Amino acid sequence: MANLNTKSVKQRTYDAIVIGSGISGGWAAKELTEKGLKTLVLERGRDVKHGKDYPTTNKMPYEFEHRGEVPLEIREKEPVISRCYAFREDAMHFFVRDSEQPYVQEKPFDWIRGYQVGGKSLMWARQTQRWSDLDFEGPARDGFAVDWPIRYKDLAPWYSYVEKFAGISGNNDGLAELPDGDYLPGYPLNSVEDYFKQQLKNSYGNRHVISARCAHLSKPNPIHLEQGRGQCQNRTLCQRGCPFGGYFSSNSSTLPWAERTGNLTLLPHSVVESVIYDEKAGKATGVRVIDANTKDVTEYYANIIFVNAAALNTNSILLNSTSSRFPNGLGNDSGLLGKYVAFHNYRARVSAEYDGLLEYATDGRNPAGGGYIPRFRNLYKQETDFLRGYAAGFSARRFQSEDRSGFGADLKQQLLNPTWSNWKVGSHMMGETIPKEENYVSLNRDQKDAWGMPLLNISIGYDDNDEKMVKDYQEQMTEMFTKAGFTNIKVTDSNQAPGLDIHEMGGVRMGQDPKTSLLNKYNQLHACKNVFVTDGACMTSTSTQNPSLTYMALTARAADYAVSEMKKGNL
Amino acid sequence: MNRRSVVKGLLIFAGGVAVLPSCVLEEGKASIPLDHLDVSEGQEKLLAEMVETILPTTDTPGAREMGLHLFALKMVDDCYSEQDRQAFMQGMAAFEGMAKKQTGDTFLDASPKQRQEIIVAVNGKNAPEEVQAFYSILKNETIKGYLNSELVMTQLRVYELVPGRYDAYYPITKAQIS
Repeated sequence: MANLNTKSVKQRTYDAIVIGSGISGGWAAKELTEKGLKTLVLERGRDVKHGKDYPTTNKMPYEFEHRGEVPLEIREKEPVISRCYAFREDAMHFFVRDSEQPYVQEKPFDWIRGYQVGGKSLMWARQTQRWSDLDFEGPARDGFAVDWPIRYKDLAPWYSYVEKFAGISGNNDGLAELPDGDYLPGYPLNSVEDYFKQQLKNSYGNRHVISARCAHLSKPNPIHLEQGRGQCQNRTLCQRGCPFGGYFSSNSSTLPWAERTGNLTLLPHSVVESVIYDEKAGKATGVRVIDANTKDVTEYYANIIFVNAAALNTNSILLNSTSSRFPNGLGNDSGLLGKYVAFHNYRARVSAEYDGLLEYATDGRNPAGGGYIPRFRNLYKQETDFLRGYAAGFSARRFQSEDRSGFGADLKQQLLNPTWSNWKVGSHMMGETIPKEENYVSLNRDQKDAWGMPLLNISIGYDDNDEKMVKDYQEQMTEMFTKAGFTNIKVTDSNQAPGLDIHEMGGVRMGQDPKTSLLNKYNQLHACKNVFVTDGACMTSTSTQNPSLTYMALTARAADYAVSEMKKGNL
Repeated sequence: MNRRSVVKGLLIFAGGVAVLPSCVLEEGKASIPLDHLDVSEGQEKLLAEMVETILPTTDTPGAREMGLHLFALKMVDDCYSEQDRQAFMQGMAAFEGMAKKQTGDTFLDASPKQRQEIIVAVNGKNAPEEVQAFYSILKNETIKGYLNSELVMTQLRVYELVPGRYDAYYPITKAQIS
């Protein structure tokens, strides 16, 4: 391979390389640099410096040309990304456009990507619920995928570890299905959210509404102030990047922390072509990088490689890392690389109105978004005709609404004197999906992108289990709303394609057995021990909980293991 | 370099809407650059008068002074489908025809009372469907522009960029409830 870089091999050699700077790559960078490893972080997109590179963060709504709306020309040219709820005029610049980064949809898949330093941690929805053993034991109990090689006890201390640093607001609710954690004060539920919580308790007993746990600094601790972050100011404009560092992102937290160790080298505009495998050494020796601007190719070397490129891109890089030892992709002895990809089923929503508790509204904004209903279906035994279950968001809001009927001076008066609407309540489902071999990604050998990389084929779809779950969620939520006295109940199924949940997972799954999995219990490739995968690609099953917190915990744990193995001379 | 890119370099931003200096105005055309809509100077004046009738000057500025007719044009031009853009333009022509028929004059030349009567009719849905389609787009965008204007957001109905609080049980009185 031509090496156009004039720097010597030594100058291009590090202790560790991290591919990707998003939520998990940022954690890998922090942990490895803190443990003294000279670490190179490769990011395919541009740099985004905390505070400095949030161009829209302090803009008032009237400062946006279309007051937030995305112009039609862009929506028509970029249909996939335009379906993302956060792709609005204020944050468009943080999302990858369809036309610039093509992929092949063997089945409809809305692939939502953020190619910049910080990745999607800049625009994420910041929901951070722990998994429990009901999740980790799910595949073994219900006979799908493979058994997770870890249990809750393996991850619990690492959940605490990342929660304390990232800053997670929430309450300890004492629920086995959603373990308690190390939280900053939770954001309160409002009157109708509390009312619904009580109604569920009375009617069902085992269905709960809790304050959603989220990565916001409700009350920062010294460790957060030390990161240069401050208290969340309830702007709920997080997708623009937060000038206060009020929510957790790689940009505001882990990356600057890593930088302060003096051990971090961050290289933006670096598209990783492949991981280099050395047949003689029997391990990976580095990565091959294409400069996103010049397209020059450079190799970088390290003892430890963390692949955190985002779930599907991690699959893509490993599939493209071929050698005579691994003709079908790095570590792919099982032939399962790219397979058993799953996601979260976000199709259904239920909305309604409530005419009680009109003496209350809310003031200011709730960064947690409201309530969270942990999974209640099939928790301890199989009860329904579908496997697993769903969690649900639940929130209640009142709006300042204006009478817009008239015109003239009267209309002006009406617009300037809004009144409170009744309560509008809403819920959306977050369904676990079952990983299957036929839900896969693969490399398209005929079509290449602007950097000569094969396009990714994506073939991921819903199944009968998902359809049943949508129906059950709609029925159950309708029943719960009815019992609570909510009216005008409306049930929808968006039929949205997989991907729009932005929770794609798997393809490089963890497991006990190298014959049926790619990674061991420390996220180490079974067949190439110095390569670790700790982003969404590693997930054996999906649970119902938002996965990012689990990626953070897995990453910190794997980094700890990697460094101790390196010190023992095992890598 | 085409005319549009030259023109875009000369934009003056007034009230959040880009306005062209008069030296580059195409004779008889709208004062802002539009990619799709073919709007005449006269039609722009009509829209200015209409939005002023919808939200007139009182002790606070009205829609014309706030440039909300230009905002509406910009939104229709950039964010609406071709079908809706056509509905807007055809409806505007139909509105002009309707005004002429009812007053014997153009809307602009009609007396304030006559204008008021025409808007009463259209606002009350007593007008042909195509006129209503046009009017409803114009009114919606005028209201959106108004509520999202610097004037309203900083002085009349203040938008807090940085609330710094969340009160989950905010007590309100009956008078504040619709």
